[in-house]
Amino acid sequence: MKLNQLLQRLFGAKQKETLSMKNKMQVQKSEKIQKVLTMLSNTQEVEMTCDEVFAALDQFAELAARGEDVSRLMPLVKHHLAMCPDCQEEYRVLESIVLNAV
Amino acid sequence: MLRKNLHLSLFLAYNFAMNKRTNEEWLADLRAGGDQQAGALEDLRAIILRGLPYAIAGRLNPNSPESEALVEEVVQETLMRVLEHLDTFEGRSQFTTWAHKIAVRAALTELRRVRWREVPLPEMDMNDDEDNSYRELPDRQASPEDQVDRKEMMKRVNRIIMEELTDKQRKALMAVAMQGFPLEEAARRLGTNRNALYKMMHDARLRLKKRLEKEGLTPQEVLSVFEQVGK
Repeated sequence: MKLNQLLQRLFGAKQKETLSMKNKMQVQKSEKIQKVLTMLSNTQEVEMTCDEVFAALDQFAELAARGEDVSRLMPLVKHHLAMCPDCQEEYRVLESIVLNAV
Repeated sequence: MLRKNLHLSLFLAYNFAMNKRTNEEWLADLRAGGDQQAGALEDLRAIILRGLPYAIAGRLNPNSPESEALVEEVVQETLMRVLEHLDTFEGRSQFTTWAHKIAVRAALTELRRVRWREVPLPEMDMNDDEDNSYRELPDRQASPEDQVDRKEMMKRVNRIIMEELTDKQRKALMAVAMQGFPLEEAARRLGTNRNALYKMMHDARLRLKKRLEKEGLTPQEVLSVFEQVGK
């Protein structure tokens, strides 16, 4: 009787664990697909590359720090920053330096 | 006390240097060679030391030895690059902002390398067609119809990704878009550079988008099938 309970507890717990693992994987998979789809919906035919954005980043940072409308003035840079985590991160750090220096 | 004095002198040097030179003067001094160049480099060094450690403080404590070592290395590298690329400065910003930009890139490149060096590039896990988890796991919030839609859509998107993209493009998409890998680190592992990887991923995104369009779908429509979950 005790053994039976023990087995049930063990297997029951294991089953639950497997299910929650699967559930987690399923949610993760769905989130990953959503991330890709979000990127796709923001994809433009023409986009700037990282090197092109780097060349313009100092100018962009100063314009933004002065409160200029960078979406209108440099839309491709703005778009790239939204798509590229590396350039976005570099811009944020440069922005903080420029704002401090103003 | 010493540190405080150091900071104060850096601050004064920064202000002095900032007010001292126009862009043209920076260029002339840095091109001059000799003491004139050495003086300009020293001022530029002080300016970078004034800005950079605090701007990356969220990633690395500015008072730690690691930060001091990294900043020292980055400043050296920045001064070298500034001299090397002086001709590419077009005067579209203050010269010091341009130099800061070079320093920021060098610092973040190093920080990313250290932070991600132990992390392997994720394996592709989208190719498992026979996924029964949806059937086994009824989602209490989604109707059976929604679950079927989701499952079908997931399969369809996976199939499109498998059919349209190269192995390298899939790996890059998986690492960057799905796992949050920095492009630079993903590029290093894939034997390419960041700029080329961005181009490759842009091409991949365009291919996927066009294929969806060919199948009569927009990314937004597909997204809405997933977003209904849990609402």
